[in-house]
Parts: sequence; C-alpha cells; structure tokens
Amino acid sequence: MILKLAYKNILGNGWRSLINVIILSIVLTGMIWMQGLYDGWGRIARRQMIAWQFGSGHYEQVNYDKYDSFTLDKSNAALSPEMEKQVADGKAVPILYSAGVIYPQGRMTPVVIKGIPTQQSILAIPTEYLKIADKSAPVIPVIIGKQMAKSTRLSEGDQFTMRWKDIYGVFNAYDVVIAKVMNTPVPTTDVAQVWMDYDKLNEVKALNNSATLIVLKDKPVNSDLGSDWRYLSTDDSMAGTDAMISAKRVGGYVIFTLLLFLAMVAIFDTQILSIFKRRKEIGTLIALGLTKRQIIRLFTLEGTLYMLLGTVFTGIFGMPLFLYFGIKGYSMPVDVSSYNIAGMSDSIKCYYSPIMIISTFLIVMLVTVFASWLPTARIARMKATDALLGKV
Amino acid sequence: MKKLITILSLIASLTLLNAAYPDGNELLKKIDDNMLSKTMKAKTTMVVQTKRATRTMVSINWAQGNSKSFSEYLSPAREKGTKMLKDGDNLWIYDPNTDRIIQISGNMLKQSVMGSDLSYEDFMEESTMQESYTATVSGAKVYEKRDCWVLNLSAKKADVAYQKITMYVDKVRFIPLYEDRYAKSGKLLKTTRVQEVMQVKDRWYPKTVLYKDALKNSKGTLFNVESIEFDLSIPAYIFSKASLKK
Repeated sequence: MILKLAYKNILGNGWRSLINVIILSIVLTGMIWMQGLYDGWGRIARRQMIAWQFGSGHYEQVNYDKYDSFTLDKSNAALSPEMEKQVADGKAVPILYSAGVIYPQGRMTPVVIKGIPTQQSILAIPTEYLKIADKSAPVIPVIIGKQMAKSTRLSEGDQFTMRWKDIYGVFNAYDVVIAKVMNTPVPTTDVAQVWMDYDKLNEVKALNNSATLIVLKDKPVNSDLGSDWRYLSTDDSMAGTDAMISAKRVGGYVIFTLLLFLAMVAIFDTQILSIFKRRKEIGTLIALGLTKRQIIRLFTLEGTLYMLLGTVFTGIFGMPLFLYFGIKGYSMPVDVSSYNIAGMSDSIKCYYSPIMIISTFLIVMLVTVFASWLPTARIARMKATDALLGKV
Repeated sequence: MKKLITILSLIASLTLLNAAYPDGNELLKKIDDNMLSKTMKAKTTMVVQTKRATRTMVSINWAQGNSKSFSEYLSPAREKGTKMLKDGDNLWIYDPNTDRIIQISGNMLKQSVMGSDLSYEDFMEESTMQESYTATVSGAKVYEKRDCWVLNLSAKKADVAYQKITMYVDKVRFIPLYEDRYAKSGKLLKTTRVQEVMQVKDRWYPKTVLYKDALKNSKGTLFNVESIEFDLSIPAYIFSKASLKK
C-alpha cells in the first residue's frame, strides 16, 4: 500500500518529480559513462602495451632506469644460454637500448636507439623491415613511429646519419634509411625512438648478444634470471599508466560528486516542500492509524522511487549513448591524443563492467535514500492534531 | 731483370721518401708540448653561426692540465653568469636564472654547448695526443700558406672517442691547423680549421678556430682567443663546485 501511495504521490508532484528524475538520470549516465571511459582506456592501454612493449612480462637489466636516460649506455648484459634458447624458440625477445643522436636534414636530435631481432613475433613492431640484406651495405634500415616521423619531419625512404658511442665511449656513425613508419599506439615505442636490427646494434656497440630488456611471450614459471636482471610483470609495467588513469578518474569523481550533491539538494528540497505542503495529509494518515515510522518510510520511499525512475530513464535514454561509446568508441581530441599517453591515440571504447554499474547504482541509491530520509525527521516531531490543523 | 730493377728502385725511393718524413709520434709529442700547459687562463669569444642568427658569447676560462677546467660566461646578458666546471669525468653547469647546478652526464653530454657545434662530451677528453694516438706522416702539404705535415692518427686504445684523425701540422710551429675527426665506421664527424695563430712567449697557439659538426647543417662555431696566459698560479677553489655559485 505504501509503495502504491508513494508512486501516486510522485506522479502527483508532476514537473518537480520529472526534474528530479532527469537530474538523477543525468548523474547516473555521466558516472557510468565516465567510469566506462576510464575502464576502457585502462583496458586498451594494457592491451596495447602488452602487444607493443611489454609482452606477458619482461626482464630489465638492473642498471636500467626508465626515468633516467643517463643509465641507457650502461644498462646491458649478455643473455644467458637458457635465455638464448628461449629467444631461439620464439618465447622471448631481447631489446638493446643505446643513447644516440640523429641528424635529419642536418638537425641534431637526441634519440634512444633500440635494437630488436628482425624475426621476432612477440611484439607488434614490424621488425621484418629491419632485415639487412647485404651485411656490408653502408646504410642501415630503421623503423620510427608516426609521432617521431611527424616531429622530425621524416618519411619512409628518407636517409640521415645516426651517431652513438660504443661501450668504450668511441664515436660511431652510420647512414640509416627509414624502412617503415609504424603506426604504434604506444608513445614509449615511438617518441624519440629509432628501431634497428638487434645484431647490428650489438655489433656497432662492440657488444655480443647483449640486451637491456627481455620481453617474454608467456609469464615465466620462475622469474629469477640472476643478479643482472630484474623481473617486471605486466601489472608492474602498467603501474604508471594505471596510476595516471586513477588520478584522472579521481578528477572525474570530483565533478560527479558535485553533480550528485546538486541532485541530492533537489531531492532534499522536494521532500521538505512535500512535508510542508502535506501536513494535513500526514495528520490524516496518523489519524487513520499509520505510525510515524510508516509515514517516514512512505516519504523515504518516495525519494527512493526518484532514484528507481532515474535508473529506468538512464536505461532508456543512456543506453544508446553507452552502446555508441562502447562499440564506436570515443576519439580523444587531437591536442589530447598527442599527450604521449598509451591508449589515447585510438578511439577509446568504453567498458561497462557489471560490478562498476551495480556499485555506481548503489552509491547513488544510498545517497538518494539518505537525502530523502533526512527531511522526514520533522515528521517524527509532529503531533497528529497539529498536523491535521496544518501546524508543524 | 728489368722488373727487378724497377721494383728495387721503387722500394729505394719509398724508403728515401719515408726517411724524409719525421716520425709521426715525435710530431705528436711536439704538438702536445706546444698546446698543453700545466695551467691556463684565457678570455675567449665563441661565435655560433646558425641559419637564422649569429650569437657571440664571451667567456673567461681557467684550466689545469686536461682534467680540470672552469668557464664563466660574461656576455650576452642571457648567458651572463653561466658557469661550467669540469673535474675529471664530471661536468656541472650553473644556471644563474634558476640558481641551480646541473650535472651534465649521459645523453645530455651529447647536446650542444650553447647551440654551438661543440657538444659537452667534446670537453670531456682528457688524454694527451701522445697517450691516445699513434701517428704516421703520410705526406706534406701547404695549408693556408704554411708548410704542413699530413698526419694520420689511429687510436691506441679502444676507449678513445675518435678512432681516426687526419691533421695537417705546421712544420715549424707544431700547431694542428686542420683536423678531421672520424667515427669508427669512417664517417667524418667533426672538423677543425685554424684560421689565425698567435705567438704567446715562446709558443705558437691557435687564435681563431672554426669548429664544425660535419653532420650538422650549420656554418660552424668560431672560437677566438682574445687573451691567454700559460702556467700561471690558479687557486684550487676555482675548480671546486662551490665556485659555481660564487
């Protein structure tokens, strides 16, 4: 009976109810969409970084610090015979890093030179373009990314000189030709990076089968590879990106907390007004035998019904939006997509997990129930006679 | 028989020709003796010539052998107060605008000094020519109206930055007037051309030198020595990090 009464009251409230429901629906839609966007971004970033950079985990040479370019030239170690076998079996791919300088059109540009075996298939980098047909050829084929090509104004077929120092500090330089401009979505494989053949880089660095990173196809059973190497799982590698997405998510939460607060104020106001306008009705209901607790429940239920109707609205009007961004994705504006953050170069397909949807619904529900219940404390203080006379 | 006589006469003439050339390593010693000093203080002008503009930077420099040096930029106003300290393998820069000392190492060493054709790592060479290279004289040449020996230098050790150098050395003044520095692959990396020399007491020293990064699209960097003193007494604090902020 209370539910029926609450429903009738909501309908009776007319526009006021509709506005509340719409606001709640907007908040719910926005919260689910925003979280879906961040979850989708996290998923795509992870997928891309696994495909282009980290595989199912990787080993780093212990001296290597990705935040310190000074460590580049001293962070390499020879592969162990076991690791060599894994590389030969296609289960691992070694990558050698070197600091270097390129001179496109005579402009000096510092880069990181990365040597990767041409026959690898673990990473999506098109390494087949790095094959050196003639070992004595004076020009080395290299691959760069789209962003690197844009910033250096280079394109496929362009030749320029690349200089570096070998492990003894001796200058070496070769002419290189861009064999391929790859469309990598992971900026850390693109910006200021030049990819070349692993064996050639070892040779010109005066090294022998040495690497800075070893990327694995599958998670290792035993991650200990000796004191020269440090194992990093995909989660470890993604920690920075995950933290960044979390920080962005918090920023989004702030906006939606404000929106939620406004929605709650609207419900609170509606309830206050409703109690004031319906004093005689409250008195009548008490006179008819309803307990104050039952009346409080009625009013609280009315508020909660706003939320339920808001959910229905969200389902009807938000669903096309969710489907569109889930299937077509959200393309970042050009200025944002050039921020050099993984997952941003492609359109982000929102991912709506059931846990996320349910938890968002529950949070909004709880807050709505609270905002609906809070004004009803006044009912508890009412006397039935005063209420019938319209006094509070 | 005729063939034998021709070969013998060829060998004899080559031997005579070689005998006419001085020993390359002796020449390197003379170059080191002339160019190096225990200490040195100089006021220099560096003219960086780029496509768009020419910038002139005046600095005062102190050096102790090849391992320690200290420079302070006096002009232009933008660079005034910038200081650079080299102590062995370490290089620090003091930026007066931020009041910070920055250690230059790793990839930063590859960057150019004040936009010039010189990189920071060019300042890091410590060994003398004699210690680093074996030289052979391959001929004689007149360069800038001076009689020179053509020297081909090969690195003695695996850790010498430039493995091959070709230079023309003034036969009388023992100044390398022309230098081409090559990468291990044989690619020309840096060129040095002495345009003017000066006499300081009993030694001759380059006064105006054009440095050029052969891979870079630039007109080069002109280095001009305004004044120079050798073997003077320099207080030890000059080569300390504390002097960078003074």
